[in-house]
Amino acid sequence: MKESFNFLRRQAEDTYIECYGVDFEDFDVGQVFEHRPGRTFEEGDCHKHALQSLDLTPHLVDRNYARAVRGEKMQVAETYLLSMMAMTTKTFGKVVANLSLTDVVLQPVYAGDTILLESEILGKRESASRPDQGILHVRTRAHNQHGDEVCRFERKFLVYRKGHGPYRAAGY
Amino acid sequence: MTRESETGDMMFPAYVPVGKDRYRERFGLDFEDFRAGQHFRHRPGYTITQQDNIDDCMDTLNQAMLHYDARYAAQTEFSSPLMVTTAMIQRLIGMTWKTFNRRKAIIRWDHITMKAPIFAGDTLYSESRIMDTSQCDDAQCGKVTIMTYGINQKDIVFCEMQYDSLIYRKESLPFSENNY
Repeated sequence: MKESFNFLRRQAEDTYIECYGVDFEDFDVGQVFEHRPGRTFEEGDCHKHALQSLDLTPHLVDRNYARAVRGEKMQVAETYLLSMMAMTTKTFGKVVANLSLTDVVLQPVYAGDTILLESEILGKRESASRPDQGILHVRTRAHNQHGDEVCRFERKFLVYRKGHGPYRAAGY
Repeated sequence: MTRESETGDMMFPAYVPVGKDRYRERFGLDFEDFRAGQHFRHRPGYTITQQDNIDDCMDTLNQAMLHYDARYAAQTEFSSPLMVTTAMIQRLIGMTWKTFNRRKAIIRWDHITMKAPIFAGDTLYSESRIMDTSQCDDAQCGKVTIMTYGINQKDIVFCEMQYDSLIYRKESLPFSENNY
């Protein structure tokens, strides 16, 4: 196991502080991380999401319409499904900022479904302009409770290199 | 329902007449109305807050503290909590709903590029350019390839994303029979 695959750092005898997020140096191309826990979408989640997104498309906010036109279960909005990218943040906790997402492919997900995510490291390189950071290239997939792939995308983002970032100064 | 104004012709009804002096709100364009090169400025805008940032993080199991630990965020290059990417994407797509109200589904994004950071208090506006229209497997719909831009109060384009949306064809729109 790499050093940053541990989650407790001893600060004093019998005193530990939680840490998470793998250091840039400890990622290798080909590694796959299975993110846990999964997440179940409730119908209320889907409705609340549409409203707070300002999205008044009828199948997202009117259950009566949705059931008449789209079937018994409310569908999870595409942007809401994509937002579950955040479930990768335990492994990618040392993120500085996202740069891009590409090749985002989605299948329908419905209220009551549960998704699990996993991420594969496709590439990494040091940032030329930001010496304390590196760029990770990752493919993340989401599967539903039946094992079907329901979302897939590639993502590039900046991650702090080992020993950098404001962790110690900020109480991390 | 068209009239001249100082800034140009009014186009595309927001209502469908359903009786004498009775109008039902019906926003959106049919697939047949879209063509490459059209550019839509969506309104209203939205001033995003730190509470939005926190709510989105808690809802999505987000453990990246740069979004909600202000002490940590103060010591990053951004100096204050960075807005979650997907919280902005949700709203940029959401704010397009009037023009794209006849959307059946978004089937894929070609790319989403983040070009500048956004913070609490910034105001987000969404604009969309139609890149292409084409046939698709779904007989009810056509495929519209859209580039949506996120623009802040300083006219900085902070996000750009291209995606394919299925929009109902005029004869397949399931609105009238469902009281829409």
